[in-house]
Order: sequence, then C-alpha cells, then structure tokens
Amino acid sequence: MDGRGHTEVNVDANTRQWNLDPCTEYRFELDPGTTLAIKLIYGHAEIFGAELADGATYLFGLECKAAVYTWQGCTIEISLPSTEYVSDETPMHAYANVHLALEQMRVRALRAMHGSPPSSDDEGSADANPEPPRVLILGPENSGKTTVAKILVNYAVRTGQEWTPMLVNTDPGEGGWAVPGAIAATPVSSPIQTSTPATRLGCAASSAPAHLTSNALLPLAYWYGHAEMKRNPLLMDRLIRNLGENVAERWDHDPEGRVAGMIVDTPASFAASSGAANEHRHALIKACVDAFRINAILVVGHEKLNVEMQRTYGNRMAVVKIPKSGGVVELDASYRDRVRKYQLQNYMYGKALQPPPGLSTKTHLQGGEQTADQTLNLAPVSSIVGFGDLTIYRIGEENMAPTSALPIGATRVVSEMQPLLVDPAQPGCGLYNAVLALLSSPNPDESERYDEEILDLPAVGFIVVTALDIPNKRMTVLSPSQGSLVGRTAVVGSFEWQE
Amino acid sequence: MSLYPPTQSQGYGAVAYPPQGYGQPSMYAQPPPAYNFAPPAQPVFHVDPTSFRREYSTRLAELTVNSRPIIQNLSMLAQDYSRFADVVVQCIESHIRRVPQWMKLPAFYLLDAISKNVYNPYANSFAPLVVRLFLDTYEQVDQSTRSKMEEMLLTWRTGSPNGRELFGVVPQLAIERQIWGGESTQNASSNRFGASPSVSAAQVLSELEFVLNQKERALQVNPYDKASQNHVVVLQQLRKLVQAGVSQAELAQILTQLRALAQPASTPAPVQAPVTAPPPQVRPQSYPSLQPSYLPVPPNSVVQSSYPPQSAYPPSAAYVAPKSEPIDLGGLLSAVQPASHASNAPPPPSAAPTNNIADLFSALVKAGVVSASGTPTGAGATAKAEEPLTPSDPVKDAARQYRKAVLKHKIKLTSADITKQRSHLVELMYDRLPAQCKQCGIRFPDGPAGKKMMDDHLDMHFRQNRKAGQAVSRGHSRSWFVSVEDWIHDGFVDTKGKGRADGRKISSSAAAAAEAAKREAELRALHVVVPPGDEAKPISCPICKEPLKSEFLEDDEEWVWRNAVQRDDKIYHATCHAEASASKSTLAVRLRNEAAGSRSRSLTPEKTRTPPKVAVDGVLRKSESPAPTTPQGTKRKAEDDDLHGRTQGTGDAPPSKKLAVAA
Repeated sequence: MDGRGHTEVNVDANTRQWNLDPCTEYRFELDPGTTLAIKLIYGHAEIFGAELADGATYLFGLECKAAVYTWQGCTIEISLPSTEYVSDETPMHAYANVHLALEQMRVRALRAMHGSPPSSDDEGSADANPEPPRVLILGPENSGKTTVAKILVNYAVRTGQEWTPMLVNTDPGEGGWAVPGAIAATPVSSPIQTSTPATRLGCAASSAPAHLTSNALLPLAYWYGHAEMKRNPLLMDRLIRNLGENVAERWDHDPEGRVAGMIVDTPASFAASSGAANEHRHALIKACVDAFRINAILVVGHEKLNVEMQRTYGNRMAVVKIPKSGGVVELDASYRDRVRKYQLQNYMYGKALQPPPGLSTKTHLQGGEQTADQTLNLAPVSSIVGFGDLTIYRIGEENMAPTSALPIGATRVVSEMQPLLVDPAQPGCGLYNAVLALLSSPNPDESERYDEEILDLPAVGFIVVTALDIPNKRMTVLSPSQGSLVGRTAVVGSFEWQE
Repeated sequence: MSLYPPTQSQGYGAVAYPPQGYGQPSMYAQPPPAYNFAPPAQPVFHVDPTSFRREYSTRLAELTVNSRPIIQNLSMLAQDYSRFADVVVQCIESHIRRVPQWMKLPAFYLLDAISKNVYNPYANSFAPLVVRLFLDTYEQVDQSTRSKMEEMLLTWRTGSPNGRELFGVVPQLAIERQIWGGESTQNASSNRFGASPSVSAAQVLSELEFVLNQKERALQVNPYDKASQNHVVVLQQLRKLVQAGVSQAELAQILTQLRALAQPASTPAPVQAPVTAPPPQVRPQSYPSLQPSYLPVPPNSVVQSSYPPQSAYPPSAAYVAPKSEPIDLGGLLSAVQPASHASNAPPPPSAAPTNNIADLFSALVKAGVVSASGTPTGAGATAKAEEPLTPSDPVKDAARQYRKAVLKHKIKLTSADITKQRSHLVELMYDRLPAQCKQCGIRFPDGPAGKKMMDDHLDMHFRQNRKAGQAVSRGHSRSWFVSVEDWIHDGFVDTKGKGRADGRKISSSAAAAAEAAKREAELRALHVVVPPGDEAKPISCPICKEPLKSEFLEDDEEWVWRNAVQRDDKIYHATCHAEASASKSTLAVRLRNEAAGSRSRSLTPEKTRTPPKVAVDGVLRKSESPAPTTPQGTKRKAEDDDLHGRTQGTGDAPPSKKLAVAA
C-alpha cells in the first residue's frame, strides 16, 4: 500500500481501520467461503451509491467484489478481506454528474406533470415537453454496467424526493432479482444494498412480512432461459418488448413513478462488436430503445460502441460515453458460473451470511436487512407431481427430430419462437436438474388465447426438477414456495442446477 | 400582467371556495356523521309536547357558554323531535330573549345550527321571528358579539341546502338593511355600531370577495363583457396580494376603491359594500377558544369561509334594494365615471372601475407593495400568512427549492460536460438532507414534509425491531412474483389490502403502516357477545382500565362488546391484548397462546392478519366482517387446500425443507 489517500491502522488481529481521504475508494474482493464486515466509524461513505449508516456493521460474502466510496472522507473498520486496496482514481464525479443531469430531467418532467410553467431559474429547458430520463446502459464485458445502473438508481432514491425509478435488467446471464435466464424490471424505492453477487441488484420479496424485509423488491420477470443472446435473439426481442409494454402500462397508472424514469442494464453481448452475436445486437438494442422509449444512452468505456451509437441514435437522444471504473474486476467464466449457482441457491434457500470470525458485535446488516438470519434463510418446498400435472414447454427448435425423420414431403414448420411440448417420459427430455420457469396463468377467457401466448406470460417463479420417476410418471420438484403446480405451465431453458 | 406569481397562491382557491353550495359545512364538524356516531345517553322522553318542552328548556338553560357539544346535542334533539319543531323554536326564542346578553350568542349559534343542519322544518319556523329576534339582540349586545352575529348573518345568505338564503330573501334583506344598509351617513362600513379607523385584512378580503362574486356573476350573464373579465382577473390578483399582506394605508385604499367598484356594477346595492366590513375586532383570532365552541365560521379560516360560495350565490338582483340612498359612494362613482369613457367601449357601468383598478395598481406599485415584476415586496408576513392557509405549501415549497437546487447547476448530458466538472453531489445528497436514519443511513430533507417522511420511516424500523423476535421460529420462503396485473397496479393502490407476498408497495414504510392499520381494524372488529343479563354491568379492560363499550348488533340481534377478546374468563380490548402479547413476545407466551388452540391463536398478530382464518368461529368471538381479505384470497386458499392434500403425500422432503403449513 502506498499510503497515498489513506492510512490504515491495525486494531487487532482480525480488524483494521482505514482512514480514507475525500473522493477515494476502498476496494475489496473476497475468496469463496469468506465473509467480510465493514463498519463506518467516522465520516460518510457509500457502497455503489447506498450510504452506510454510522456505526452499523455490514456483511459481505459469496466472493463479493465491491468498493466503499467516500465523498467527504471517512474512517471504516474492516475485518480481513482476501484482497483490498484504496484508489483515488474513480469515475464517481462523472457518474454523479450524470445523476445530476438525470435529476434535472426528473424535476422538469415533474413540473410539467404538475402543469407548472417553466421558471426563470431554468434556462436549460427549451424543451416544451420535458421527459423523464429513460437510460440505456451499454458496455462490454467487465465494464461495470450493472454497478453504474445501481449507482444511478441509488442516487435517485436518495434525493429525498421519493422517486421510485424503474430498474430493468435485460441481461439473462445476470438474472437480477429472479434467477439466471430471466429478464426483469422492478421499481426501486430504497437504496439497493450490496452484499453478495447473488443479490447484486437487491433481493426479491420473500414471504417474510414486509416489515421484516424492508428492502425486498417486487420484480416483473420474463423467462428467456439461456445465458447467451445468440441462443434465441428473436425470443429475447419479444420478451424485451413485453417488459416494455408492461412498464408503460404501469406508468400510465402511476405518473409519479413515470417521472422518476428508468435505468436499463444490458448484457455485454449488446456491445460485442465481433462474433456471432453481432448480427443480432443492433436489433436487440433497437428493441430496448423502442420498448423502453429510451431517451439517453450511456456507453461505459467503449469508444467504438460510443461512435456507433452516436451514428445510430445521436440525432434522437443523448449518447454519452462515461468512463469505466478502474476497480472493475476481470471476471472469468468460472466465476460467472459460480455466481449463477449462488443465485439459484439464494433463490431457493436464501443466504444469511456468517459473520467473519472475531467480529465484536452480534448485530449486523446484510443486504440492508436487520434480521438477516430470520429473513434471508428461506425454506423451499419439495413436492411430487405427476407428469400430466405440469405442462412443460421448450421454446424453439432444440431437441427436435432431425429433418430426415419427418414424413416424406413434409417441411419443417417449427420456428425458433414455437413452443414445443416436452414429454418428461421421453429419454433425453433434458428435464433432470433443469431450471423451469413457472408461468402465470394464461388468459381465463378462452377466446382471447393464441398459440404463442406462453411467450408473453411472465414468470411467477422458478422450479427445479430434482428427480424423475419415469415408471410411475412422477417427478420431484423443488419450488421456492407453497402452491399447487397442478395445471400450471412451465418453460424449460438451458440452465441446470444441483444443490 | 402577472402581478403575482401564480404558484404562490396555489391551494388558496381550494380553501377559499368549498365546492359545496351549502353554507359552512365544515363548521359544525360534519354534524350528520357526528349525529350517527355519538348516540348520547338519551333520556327517554315522553311523547307529549309539555314534557318535551320542559326537557328542552332545561337543557337549553345549560347553554351558557359557546360549547359545541351542547349545541350539537341540542341540535340532535331538535332533529329527533322535529315533530315538536314549534316547541323547539319557542324555547329558543324565549331563551334568547330572556338570558343576559352574554349568553345570547351561543343560543343564536344553536338557532343557526338547527336551521342549517336540520333545515326542515326549522328554517321555516324561525323565518317569521328571526328578523325581530336578530335585530333586538343586535341592539343589546356588545360590539364583539355584534361582529360575530354579522358573520353569522353572512353565512345565512347561502345557508340553505340549495345555497340560497337560509330564512328566505325577505328576512335576510330586512336584517341586512337594518344593520348595514340604513345609514345614510356611514363612511362605508364604519357604521353606527362603532367605526374603527383601522381596516383589517379580513374586512378587505370579504368585501373583495363580494365584489369578485358580483363580477363573476356579471360575467356569467354576459360572457363577452371584457371589462368584467378584466375585473375578475384584477380582483383575483388583488385578493392574493391582500392575503400576502399589505399595509394599513394600502388596505384602506383598496377598500375605498373596492366600494367604488362594487357600487356601479350592481346598481343600487347598498347592502353589499358595507356588509362584510365588520370592525377589526371581528378578526377570528380573537375568538376565545377555551373549549370546543361552536362557530359559524371555523376560526382558522374565517376569512375564506365567510365568503359565500360563488356558484351558489344568488343573483345580485335579489339584493337590489330599489330605494336605497346612493350615499357618498355615489359621489365617488360619479367622480370616476367620466374618465372611463375613453376605454374600449365596455358597458358604461363597469367601465369606471377599470380605471379604478388600474389606478389602484399603479398606486400600489408606486408604494412599493407590488414590484413591477410581479413579486410582492410588501410584508415580511407574506410567508407566515400563507402557510396556515395552504397546508400543502411546505411540500410544494420543498419541491420547488429542490428543483432550484438541481437546476442551478449548468450541466448537459454530454460526454464532455460530465467528465470535466466536479460534481455537486455532496451538496445535493448530503448537505441538503441533514436528517439521517441511524439504522439504515437513509437521509431525509429538512422541513415538515421531510420530518413526516422520517417519522414514518422510523416507525417502520420500530415495528420491525419490535416484531423481530416473533419471527424466530417461523420459516419464510421466496414468494411467487405478483401477477402482471398486480404489478402494473402496484404502488398506487395502497388500500388494496394485499397479502404479504405482494405486500410491498412503493415504500415499505407506507406498506407497513397500511398493514398495521388493517390489523388494527381487524382487531377492532372482534367482539364478544355479552352474556345474557350482563348488559348493564360495566366492565373494564384489565390492561388499559378503560370501560368496554357494549353495542347492539342488528344482524345478530345480540349485545356485544366491541373490540374485545375473551381470555381466561377476562374480557380485554382486542387491541390492548394484541399490543400486550406482542410486547412480551417470549417463546413461552407464544407457545401458551398457540397451545390454547384455534381460539387464542388468533391473538398473535401474525394470525389475525388473515381474516378468513380468524373467522373460524369460536362461540364467544367472531369476526363478522372479514372484508379486507386479500384480492386473490380465494385463489390462494384454493391453492392452500390443494397443497395441503398434496404435501401430505410428500414425505420425502428433507427435514430442512418446510412442508406446507396449512392452518
């Protein structure tokens, strides 16, 4: 440690104090199986935009990699992490300026909503019809897109204006509040806490009473089923548009929510300029821009993409290149695999972290929850369902009979959007250990139904087939919560999970 | 000509003009519901008029001070026994005539209350005698009582349910003419009952309002009357100005001009201009407020509410007194009239005031009351005067200040702008939000709105901490996501009484508050049937020592104790008991409660939250209104039942996994 921008003091064998200068950042990375406790002793500090309470102990785990930033300088007390250092080069000023610009859009939109005339203190609003910010964040792998999204949302909810911005995750590899393979949107009303990579964007609601899980979020999720865009870009396109339509409808009923705007996080494949994904990504970016009526694009640290977006959208909206944080950790594929496993585990069982050894206090916050041991340990339900009870589909052409097996003269009519019934009794059905999305009920009105309706049904939850009993035509299913699965519809993707 | 920033006056209009055409509905604290709630321990009257008269007189004798409960009680009696209306009327009249002058006003308030709220048949019964009674009383009482009577008289103008004169046009005019109209020498309103050199803002405002009403009516009759249009605009601005606060001299000036303006528009109208100009001690602040007292006008908004609602105001023709003295206002008018002819051909009568008002404004501008830009530079009292009038203002002010703070920084959403500047985030995110929650670090702005937000937030923590212990042994599981319909409508339908799975709305604090309110309502709905013979026995809650209220349930034809639960042969308030058992939430207590079976299980808050389960009837306790069930209650239940059957057969779940618990 070079000592510039900070000093560190050993408190005891397990604890150290760091004095951080203003506008510096303490970064840490955890190895598997370790946890970390951070306590703010003095000053003000925030983690990805969420301010730390003075004197409270925050827990981190599951290979969490995060940073404590301070605008005014602070002293923090930390148990021993795996990797740690302090940096005074951060893009936080730029991010804060982006926030300020977005905030100006919000207050102008709010004023327009209230019908007040523009006032003299606002020279910048030549626009007669100011729109709230709807921001698309693009960037390559390991550029910190999700972190930027989180910081911007957290700053918005911290203004004291009771904004409830919409946070949208369109990266199925990330999973957000659901499980990997899903894309989702949720309104956010209190700062998203960082604690584990399984809950990078905060926790979805559990059955714990609302007064206990004060930070739980209510997402609307669609199931894509794969980690990569290229598996089924048409499906992705459709799901993005579904999500956008529902957000728009919600905002029709909730003008105050609309004014808070929206932050859309995207997968890195939207930025990849080479490889197989290239042909689809423009279509998907356009799907996002259309579906969410994007009016600002942030490109995190990628010149070429920035230029590309300027050319395509620069005449319609602000396209802004923002710097990438030097603190972003290069993540390898195996880390991402482990994080997906953590996420599924967390979806079913929750995860209350064990405090690191030697922590002096018993009370601590995890993900903002005061009573993590009660509310973050969850109990899923294992049950047996008959093959006929659950209708399972797979979207697209996989696992189909080869063309040569078709009757002579028949042509393949199956598109990549067609739902195909999966028979669990067939060997090779691929259901064992598969993650299935349980869809919401189809339209009760038969006349309103249509063939591809299941493409447009949101997921209400995710279940895993843990055993197949083909002779008895039964399977064992682990589901997060009670509730009958009989007569429900589920869709299988390419994710598998074993405890 | 924006003489006044429109934003500053937001909210005023709403306060000033109750939409109802009915006099001052608010002033009796909504009598009709009050009548419904508070069944007083009514003595049983014999049905003959004589004993009723005796009873009513006795009670009337208690009305020695302005006491709202007494007045309400007497009004209710009058309502209940409207068949004895003539008895009531006679009692009140003789009471007013008999009692010393300091006791007369409360009795008049009673008359006012009965006439307005019961109306039929009382208004008609009082009408023949009210003029004499009012004027006789007016002669006898002191100045402050007079001004209160004047205020009451004003409310009578629109006091009837259809917004017209409470006792009819003739009595109203007769009284008004006697009090205000008949004085030929009056210097405007400073009449024979005590002129005061000083002019109160309330006085000016009420006159202003009156003239404004005139003009607006004129405009309704003749929508193309440019002059009236102008007047309305100007008067509205003037009203804001006066509300914001102006000096004495300017008030007097405005008043003079107003009277000149009022005069020509409604031809003779001698009653109008002076009508609402009581001497300064009329100001509402001077009301004694020792106890809940009856006021024809709510003390905090007397200025506004004494204005007749414009739409309901009778046409000015009703007030035209054919033979009224032109008084000196006439001279004033003729003095200005010639000057008006040059203006853009408006109807001659209303032309003069155009100039008057223009003069007035130029005078005000000169005096520095109004700055040319439209900001009132007048009184430092501006803000103070406005705040109580418009309760929503602090919120708006805060929002406006925040907007200013945000917009003052010049920044564009461009790559260059966001990287080259240092940010102002600390100012916006830390300095502007000084109050911080110690538990979770969330910050709140200063001011009343911020305080409210923080209080709600801390309440949420309080509940969280208090209930944390109760959750120990309960397993939770991941909720299913809400349906798309619920998701779309979530966050602004907070009265939906959602189940816990989707109980999170926009702010967790509000959700928690809604949950608590719902729970309390459910607790209050609980009741215990009074054992036969015990109806008269007074019992108290062992916890709070307050008596339990018994009540007759029409549906069940039974006497019950409301908000009550029975535990170990003791009757508790359900709310007290829930509170108490929540606070001593030791394992032992909970175990004991749960072991007591379904009957006492309902007492742990968790269980009482789901009314259908509470409704599983014990003999002594039932929840007759499981109204606030979850919207998907039926569906959820079907699933529960189904699952219940299903999970019985799934013995192979690992012990750590929770089997379905169907209650």
